[in-house]
Amino acid sequence: MISLKALGKNPFKTLLIFSSITIAVMAIFLISSVSQGVIGMYSKMIKTDGDIIITQKGISDTFFSNVDIALMQKIDALQDVASSYAMIVGASPIGHIPIAGIYGTTQNHMSHYKLIKGKYPKEGEVILGANLAKQFATVSVNIGSKSFGISGVFSSEIGFEDGGAVMNIEDAGKLFNRSASFILVTSDSPNSTDDIVKKIALLDDEIEVKTTQNFVKEYNQFKIIENSSLVVSTLAFAMGLMGIASVMSMIVNSRKEEFGIMRALGKSRLFIIKNLFFETLIMSVSAYLFAFLLSLGILAMLPHIEMLHGYVNGTLSLSTALYVFASTLFMALFGSLIPAWIASKTDPILLINQGSA
Amino acid sequence: MIKAANISHFYGAEQVLFDLSFEIKSGEFLFLSGESGSGKSTLLSILSTLLKPSNGELLIDGESVEKIKNIDYFRQSKIGFVFQFHYLINYLNIYENIALAALEDKKQNIEKILEELGILELSSRYPNEISGGQRQRVALARALVNEPKIIFADEPTGSLDSKNSQIVYSLLAEAVKRGTTVVVASHDMQIENYATQIIRLKDGQIL
Repeated sequence: MISLKALGKNPFKTLLIFSSITIAVMAIFLISSVSQGVIGMYSKMIKTDGDIIITQKGISDTFFSNVDIALMQKIDALQDVASSYAMIVGASPIGHIPIAGIYGTTQNHMSHYKLIKGKYPKEGEVILGANLAKQFATVSVNIGSKSFGISGVFSSEIGFEDGGAVMNIEDAGKLFNRSASFILVTSDSPNSTDDIVKKIALLDDEIEVKTTQNFVKEYNQFKIIENSSLVVSTLAFAMGLMGIASVMSMIVNSRKEEFGIMRALGKSRLFIIKNLFFETLIMSVSAYLFAFLLSLGILAMLPHIEMLHGYVNGTLSLSTALYVFASTLFMALFGSLIPAWIASKTDPILLINQGSA
Repeated sequence: MIKAANISHFYGAEQVLFDLSFEIKSGEFLFLSGESGSGKSTLLSILSTLLKPSNGELLIDGESVEKIKNIDYFRQSKIGFVFQFHYLINYLNIYENIALAALEDKKQNIEKILEELGILELSSRYPNEISGGQRQRVALARALVNEPKIIFADEPTGSLDSKNSQIVYSLLAEAVKRGTTVVVASHDMQIENYATQIIRLKDGQIL
């Protein structure tokens, strides 16, 4: 009650704290969500149609991986293997678009891309993701130094795919000068996956075989994204913390007389600390809710921003929301700790000294 | 009610109070007088437990202040303060200002005290919506709400005109009649008319 009234009495300073918490929380939300979104999109691409992934040994990124596509025949012959397909993933300028994802795939995987217009590509043709297709009203498009006919348009809920182009693996191989970036294998039953991994690993010394689950967990690019996101989130957290601490110090300084009165009236130091904590808590929870709604709005808008071609996508999970909420509470309590402590130490004698001045 | 024994106080190397000993009986109206710099504010601060003396012992209601474990509760339950400036919290209304000071079991006194001081109709107003005299009456109501044994007042009429000053003195005198001990530090000699005991200070010593 007192805390609410105190906040209302200092609207400018309240707004300053509210804003610094909102901005910090929103930054943490967006950074975490976008990095999770990027990781989510790529891992979904890999996980959806395979249990096992085969990449070139010692290569940190699938973009640089080169696996012999001929391995597919040997893999298909193994016991408990249901199917396999190969893919080339690359990025290249497409027409006037400076960079977009190019996916070359074997025919048996082409149906993964749901056509909304036209037909699947033959040699020298591509199908465009719905998001990318908005940019082209032409019948052909230049990819790298070659012109490809546009045979159709597909849609995908994965932003990387929806903003990219798909072609036959042979065409992609010529474009990116490789056989396959990776081969994905589906097993007959989940129980046989580990066995198949071991058997495939024996087929070629130059390959690395993992379950897609483990691949996603250990993929260096994801670790880089997660770590970068953690660093930026920590910086945002620290800035929010400093913002709260500095504005709370200003507030405490301007309200010294009030704390002196409370101490003279016999209110304990704990009473003052609790009230200041509560004030920060009210602001933090409101700022968190506000930042949460703003972030949801921004994340909902991201896939529709044309210049991003659907490549930037955010996933706001419950665990992120809870993690950010806990960070917000910690930021609020830790940021107000020292100012509240100083406030509680206000000597009521200042009231008498002012009076006798 | 209050027994001061050999109270001395230093601010750094400067001694401002010199070995003061006196006793204030229950129900007294003590006038602490003296020029600026005589040490009366320091003495009032010590008597009201806001300041620890450098030397000497202070007993309030039979308890040695130094040995009191919960000084905050002691201050809230036994002592009332009135300052030169009303020091009301400006974002709380009059009722809430008094409620802030009130112990849980004394909150029932609030309306009665406001009525006695003639300010009941102001209870929902804020300090900046009432006059200086009314504010000082609210400050007095806040000091009285816990039915304290002692009220300390530091220049309580310093910012009031003579009419409002008289009202404040009369209200303090009323409190004395009800058995409260009142200690007032002031330059205002009018208070002599109400005081039952006077301590005059000069250069930190009782004259």
